[in-house]
Amino acid sequence: MKNILTPLLFCIFSTSLFSQDYSFEISKIPINLLNNANSVVLFEDTFVNVKSQNQMTIEVNTAVTVLNKLGDYNSHVYVHFDKNQKIKSIETYIYNASGKEINKVKSKEYEDVSAVDGGTLYGDSRMLYYKYTPISYPYTIQKKYVIETINTGFVPSWQPVDSYSTSVLSSSYQIKSSEGLAIRFKEKNFENYTIEKEVATNNLKYKVVNVEAIKREPYCPIFKDFTPYLLVGLNKFSLEGIDGEANNWAEFGKWRYDYLLNGNDEINDSAKSEVLNLVDGILDPIEKAKIIYKYVQDRTRYISVQEGIGGWMPIKANDVHRLGYGDCKGLSNYTKALLNAVGVEAYYTIIWAGDENRDVEEDFFSMQGNHIILNLPTNDGDIWLECTNQKVPFGYLGDFTDDRNVLVIKPDGGIIKRTKIYEASENLQKSIGSYEVRGNGSIQAEVKIISKGTQYFDNLKSDGASDKELDVLFKDYFSHINNIKFSELQVINNKKEMAFEEEIAFEASNYAILNGNEMLVPINAFNRNFVIPKRVRERKLSFQISQGYLDVDEVDIKLPVSFDIEYVPENKTIESKFGKYIVEVSKVDEHTYLYKRTIQINEGEYPKEEYELYRNFRKEISKYDNSKIILKSKS
Amino acid sequence: MKKILITLVIVFNMAQLIAQDYKFGKVSKEELEETYYPLDSSANAAILYKKRYTHFEYIQGVGFEVVTDVHVRIKIYNTEGFDWATKSIKYYKSSSANEKVSSLKATTFSINNGKIVETDLSNKDVFDEEINKYWSQQKFTMPNLSPGCIVEWKYKISSPFKSIDNLQFQYGIPVKKMHIEIEIPEYFVYNKSSKGYYLVSPKVEKKRGNIIFNTKSRAEGTGWTPSGTTNFSQTNIDYIITKEIYDVNDVPALIEEPYINNIDNYRATVEYEYSELHWPNEPVKYYANSWEDVTKSIYNDSDFSNQIYKSNHYNEDLAVVLDSAKTNSDKINGILELVKRKIKWNNFNGFTTENGTRQAYKEGVGNAADINLNLVSMLNTAGFKANPVLISTRSHGIPLYPTIEGFNFVIAGVELDDKIILLDATDQNSTPNNLPLRDLNWQGRLIRDDKSSISIDLIPTEPSEVNSKIIIKVDELGEVSGMVRNSYTNLRAINYRDTYCKLKDEDIITKIEDKNKIEIEELRVDNKKDLYKSVVEMYRFNSENLVDRVGDKIYIKPLLFKSETENPFKLEKREYPIDFGTPLIDNVTVSIAIPEGYKVASIPEKIAIGLPNNYGMYLFDVLTSGNSINVKSYLKINTAIYPALDYDTLKVFFKDIVSKNLESIVLEKATL
Repeated sequence: MKNILTPLLFCIFSTSLFSQDYSFEISKIPINLLNNANSVVLFEDTFVNVKSQNQMTIEVNTAVTVLNKLGDYNSHVYVHFDKNQKIKSIETYIYNASGKEINKVKSKEYEDVSAVDGGTLYGDSRMLYYKYTPISYPYTIQKKYVIETINTGFVPSWQPVDSYSTSVLSSSYQIKSSEGLAIRFKEKNFENYTIEKEVATNNLKYKVVNVEAIKREPYCPIFKDFTPYLLVGLNKFSLEGIDGEANNWAEFGKWRYDYLLNGNDEINDSAKSEVLNLVDGILDPIEKAKIIYKYVQDRTRYISVQEGIGGWMPIKANDVHRLGYGDCKGLSNYTKALLNAVGVEAYYTIIWAGDENRDVEEDFFSMQGNHIILNLPTNDGDIWLECTNQKVPFGYLGDFTDDRNVLVIKPDGGIIKRTKIYEASENLQKSIGSYEVRGNGSIQAEVKIISKGTQYFDNLKSDGASDKELDVLFKDYFSHINNIKFSELQVINNKKEMAFEEEIAFEASNYAILNGNEMLVPINAFNRNFVIPKRVRERKLSFQISQGYLDVDEVDIKLPVSFDIEYVPENKTIESKFGKYIVEVSKVDEHTYLYKRTIQINEGEYPKEEYELYRNFRKEISKYDNSKIILKSKS
Repeated sequence: MKKILITLVIVFNMAQLIAQDYKFGKVSKEELEETYYPLDSSANAAILYKKRYTHFEYIQGVGFEVVTDVHVRIKIYNTEGFDWATKSIKYYKSSSANEKVSSLKATTFSINNGKIVETDLSNKDVFDEEINKYWSQQKFTMPNLSPGCIVEWKYKISSPFKSIDNLQFQYGIPVKKMHIEIEIPEYFVYNKSSKGYYLVSPKVEKKRGNIIFNTKSRAEGTGWTPSGTTNFSQTNIDYIITKEIYDVNDVPALIEEPYINNIDNYRATVEYEYSELHWPNEPVKYYANSWEDVTKSIYNDSDFSNQIYKSNHYNEDLAVVLDSAKTNSDKINGILELVKRKIKWNNFNGFTTENGTRQAYKEGVGNAADINLNLVSMLNTAGFKANPVLISTRSHGIPLYPTIEGFNFVIAGVELDDKIILLDATDQNSTPNNLPLRDLNWQGRLIRDDKSSISIDLIPTEPSEVNSKIIIKVDELGEVSGMVRNSYTNLRAINYRDTYCKLKDEDIITKIEDKNKIEIEELRVDNKKDLYKSVVEMYRFNSENLVDRVGDKIYIKPLLFKSETENPFKLEKREYPIDFGTPLIDNVTVSIAIPEGYKVASIPEKIAIGLPNNYGMYLFDVLTSGNSINVKSYLKINTAIYPALDYDTLKVFFKDIVSKNLESIVLEKATL
């Protein structure tokens, strides 16, 4: 079968690449592309033409058939532009199921709107926008546009499958560059796909056909890590009018240092003498850095202002000093400038921030990343500084920036480094407490919770919260306990220990359940874990536990003396590759018990076959966390 | 005690008044040194002072412009309050004229070693952004913030349009002092309406205004025809200005609460709506004043009235519907479905048409008016007495009486047998008198072509129900298998269809499995598309985790996954009414087959509890008969809006429901 297929494919490929001869008839879509699909990309042809180091046009012609409501996100048409990126033409057509054109969008129907999100104070990025209102399903929306830009530093990548529940009938990509501008590229995750290509120094063609839709499954890996992805760049490029040339990260880093950073990190003399005063008499560079870091945290805040493409040049350190605000680039650059002023070396570092641990490509240089942090090399390893958060301790990286490759920009060039990895045992939450159950079923409890590692960050939102807000936050944390009334709610952001400390005391009526003369006391009052991954029939993707952690609880339990103890949950140990769960209940005296509980979940990627095992593991934990002590009234 | 308090407050205020200087830039050390807001220590920031002065200026050759001066002083207590140092001033543009922002001046004040430090906002840190075709904004954030600092800004905004922005007295942070002056020349009449719990009324004064016209005229010309020599002359016109002064002190912060319709409904606000123009020597021009005027001015808008009656573009389709319909309700349902099928909603509101009814019908797309005025028109053609009903959607706030601006949406109302049937064809799952939640906002206004109008209650009296029947079997190992049948009516049917009917069955299964912690073997949803019947969801399931087995006993929560285990009302205090959307009924029956070899050890006792004023009731009962146990749970809420005053009772009511639902049925091994 395969033998027949390949030449056939090749045939289609060689005749139809970039030809405009497409059918919009739904009935022509192969049946296998309709499975699990909310939309079908009938075709997507991208042609990038690099005419010179600072002139590039991008032509896109694409049509998507939307099969149902869930595919309606395709009915939004938007094309970005700014002062250096112009839209030369834009056309949008709508076709009905039989492939007949039912609407051609008029140019006055596109709205010219700001393309800046709400979190940004100001940005100059704009877009032309049009929204189609579907009148029946399926329908097809075709958009054709040409943009022209001077920024050849950002060559569009090719990601033929770019979302779940979308199949692709055909997707092609071509880039052509003029003499002397060599094209560089990197293919990722091409193994499981039949992809046609033609490769030359100044010309590159790729095409894939007939890609079935992938259904999203819970705990799935990062989409970009298992679908085809082509990165493309040039050896000579230009950004906002600044030319560059590089062959590797070292040279690229050097270019960014020389042209984008240099000069922006100067600070005025009064600022310099102010910080020099602060570190007067201190020799240890780490101690100095801590003082500077606190200084920056105290006098700045995060405000995003994005001008120019993606806003990649930091605002001047002196401006941040004057204004007291900046974005990640501005604040990192400012911190770096102050550190340099007191004789501490620190480097501007480019990172992909986010809960998904995305790497800066180790062997392919280009404009990457969406966030900036600082790197402070020491004899005991690297220290990383997040400069946009006023609450985190010196050297703390959370789940947002941990464990991934980053680009560190030094005056002599760029190098790739990896940020801190948090082991499950470092992400520790320790709850030490006690509770007393009264004869009427009410509970009086107090507990001290200390959170570290990534769990530290999860609690940071309660730092600075008002009493009212704390009441809401902790009622949510203890949502399994009804009628809760707090008598103490204290939170301490212990930056020195990188620990978040919470002291809580409360009362709640009807905690225990009275059934006739029996009383049921849920044994685990403070930290119940009821997470059970959703059931998936015939799982297709491997699964990923993205954050490991360890919870340790120790609770003294006092039971009412007017009751006899009928049953106390037994000790339990569950161990698996996904982690462990240990509960020990020991009797202290007749009505007093000590409850110890440990739960550890291990980060990792596991084969799909083990998903059901993981579900069972979590089901069992959930069951034991729901255990109850049973008491019987003496009277 | 009360007396003492009041006197104290007054004394306190006076002391403050004397101490404070509200001129721009005259920030005091005391203000800077204050570490928390005395009346609300949880406030992250407070508006210490806000002044607004709105008046009319006559500009030769242009006419009257509305000019507003704003001056604000905000104290920022901690870093959480920094957001209040970012400001955006929106201004409107049209093809003929623009609003203008000018004279912006802003400073941050902080204290350093006992000295006041001032940092001015520089012009280059103010950004001008075009949001879309009509709106732009000037945006800035203040420099050099630190906890305890004060930010101050002032600006002027002039508008060639006659609109006066709402007077807002309440914010997310407390307001210490606010002074607003609105001056309106006698030519312009505005309707004023206020809302919110915190009532504000103005002091009214009169003063004189004066315009000097510089006239240029040609001696020998007639009318506007230019000829001959030019004469310059001045004309002086005096007029009366009404000045309204609002002085408010110590307005508490407005804090969002759950189960609320739209927090803006409770925000202390005064709205000015332009209603009449009394130009000298010209007839009075009405915009809106009474309901009659509102109706008149809407009907006078030819756009509106033409759409409703003069139409025949749908005649063929309508004839098909009417041919097969026998009863009035068949006809109404048929017409509603025809409009829904023919025109899809583009998510734009409005009570005037965007494309026009004819065009919308042809193209299949339209805004709320395009769709629902087609509906009104068709119903009229079919012989019904149908009219537009203006409403304000929930996100738009409650409509204020009587004003055009209060409304943003139109639905259809049919007067039939002394009853009114409300219809909204913009929602695919809506049926007669069963409107989507978006529409259920207090009252609408039915307007007739004879210019009369009546107010219409939008909130349904009929409850929205979920009826659940569960039959289960428990085996000796504690595994449960069973069947569930849930049927949904009215608003809950709309919600179910909106959420689930677009999904494939396998995805519905995953959602229920995840929610109820069970595993589903088979699922069927009936009447997904048949809107005139309840939507019925049925499935077979099993679960290992649904009951607890301890020693010889089995503990079963009587309502299984239908138990209320968490009280939705957690707040200690409640300021605003609780909004349930519509009256509700939750009716669950569970039948449990006792496993062989087991008998009932104990069952929960029955309860019957109620809310005051017949607002609601709850019944719960467990009965055993032979080999089975039957559980009945019945919750009824008779009101869509429950008063905040009775919040405590509601909280206790749900507390009792939850604790009852958590009790167990206990089975034990029967001794042989």
